[in-house]
Formats: sequence, structure tokens, C-alpha cells
Amino acid sequence: MTNTVTLNHLGRSVFGGLGNISSGSLRTSLDSTWNNFLSQQQQRTFIQMRTVLKVVDNSGAKKVMCIQALKGKKGARLGDTIVASVKEAHPNGKVKKGEVVYGVVVRAAMQRGRCDGSEVKFDDNAVVLLDKQGQPRGTRVFGPVPHELRKKKHLKILTLAEHIA
Amino acid sequence: MLAALRSRALLHHSSSSSFSNLQQWKLGFLGLERTRSSSSIESNKATELLNLQEIEQILSDVKADDIRVIPVRQHCDFMVIATGRSTWHVKNIAQALIYKAKQKQKGAQRISLPSVEGQEGGKWVVIDSGTVIVHALDEKARAYYNLESLWTTETSPKEPSSQVK
Repeated sequence: MTNTVTLNHLGRSVFGGLGNISSGSLRTSLDSTWNNFLSQQQQRTFIQMRTVLKVVDNSGAKKVMCIQALKGKKGARLGDTIVASVKEAHPNGKVKKGEVVYGVVVRAAMQRGRCDGSEVKFDDNAVVLLDKQGQPRGTRVFGPVPHELRKKKHLKILTLAEHIA
Repeated sequence: MLAALRSRALLHHSSSSSFSNLQQWKLGFLGLERTRSSSSIESNKATELLNLQEIEQILSDVKADDIRVIPVRQHCDFMVIATGRSTWHVKNIAQALIYKAKQKQKGAQRISLPSVEGQEGGKWVVIDSGTVIVHALDEKARAYYNLESLWTTETSPKEPSSQVK
């Protein structure tokens, strides 16, 4: 009985407004009715120290590891700035491996509530690199980015984005 | 009905020619106003902060170079890009726009200012006034980010990622 209660809650939050905006799958509530113990979805949490994120601009880096979430005691969420260290980079790019960079989280696996009551979550954790003054390091941002960046004063990333969720 | 069709045709024509001069834009804007007033009341309230015509006037007063107005259907209505000759000039453009918004709302009980990003850096300042977003860049930043090529293609560009050297 308790399983079905949590299911409904999850189902409502998934289809509340925008639901899962991901590059691939859309989880339906029908799949989860099959096996009860498999149906409970993984609870995603904040982006904190040691979290590896994907870089979705063309600044040259591929993967960064978060060193510090600048705001929030528990960690960073969608739209927050982090300090990160570049772990993997393209061979000829502006950003080199081992560099300490600032970044803005543009996609997070943890859901974020919107003011109309819906929640938005993505399939991966992605970041766009900035410099200290807040200027983007790359010139294009790939993949979908949410509107939340507008309220968080990251309009520059929104203008460079190819798709706004 | 005919006026709405004519204005829509005008807007379509002017949006197909990417770099249009101010006069054509004024026609396009007037057409858009007519269609907008017939659709909903909320959108009229959203143009409260700064109008496109006022912005054009301020930019020509401040002597900003190379003003481009681009219609955007996604998260805002118009995107204005202007160049400043130096970082101080770019900051001045932003200040002038805020000053105009303040003047416009003189005597009102609550003043809502357009949000500004990048003011301290001076390289790229974004002023967000609801339906219109103004980008003030300096020469180097304009060449680097190349915003026109992003926003003047109608659909979202799906080019393969090119590395930034």
C-alpha cells in the first residue's frame, strides 16, 4: 500500500508540468507498476565536492569535478555556481586539464521546483564554464537549458544556448 | 482582420531579411503591437519596463555602434545587440538604459528596474527588461561570441561542436 502511495506522488511530480526533460528516455508510471521494488526511483541529490559533471560548452573541457558549491550548505542545484577542477579536456582547447574554473550548473539530475508547482529534472549533471567575472568561457552551449537561468541572472548562457527547455 | 494579416505578413517579411534597418523594424514593431493588443492584456503589461523604440532612441543618443534588432520567439520578443567602443562606453550604455527606465516610472509607488548582468566586467552587459533583451558588448567580445549568427538562423542550429582556440 505504501508503495502505491509513493508511486502516485512520483507520478504527479513527473507529469506535473514539464516532467523529465532528457536527451533520451521519458519514464512512464506504467513501467513502474511492474516490479514494486524496482519501481522506486532513485532519489537524486545536490551537486557537492567530488561530483563529476559534464561540460556542455565549447570551451575545451570535457569533464570537471566540483570542488566547492558556492552557495548552499548541502550543495549546488540547478542554476547555482560551483568551483571545479578540470579532469578531462580536449587536446587543443582554451581550458587545460587541472585548471580551476568556475561554472554554472545548467542540467541537474535533482529535480527543481518551478513556481507553477511543476518540477524539472534532467538525465545528467552538466555545467557551463565561466570566468571570475561571470563571462562564459565558450561561445556555444549544447543541449537543453532550463528557464531557471533567467531568474538566476545567467542570461548570457541562455543567449548562447541552442535549445531552451 | 485584414490589418492583422497585413501586419503579420510585414513581420514575416522583415524577419526573413536578417539585418534590417530601423525603419523596417518600426513597421514590424507597430504591426506586432496591433496583433499583441488583440491577443492578451498581460503581454501589454510586460512591455512596461522599456519599449523597443525607447531603446533605439537611447542607443542612438549614447552613440552605440552597430545596433541590430533581432526578433526572437522563444523566451523574449526582441533581442537588441549593440557595440561599445570601450568598457566604459559599454557600462555607460547600461546606465543610460536603467536611467531611462527609472525616469519612465517616476512617481510610481514601486519601481521595477531591468536586471543587469556583467556590469562590473564591462565586456558584455545584458539588460533584461521583460520582452526586450539588450546586449551591449565591446568589439572583441562581439567578434568572439558572434551572437548574430546564432540568433538569425530561424531554427536552432545543430552544428557539430567546434573547439574554441
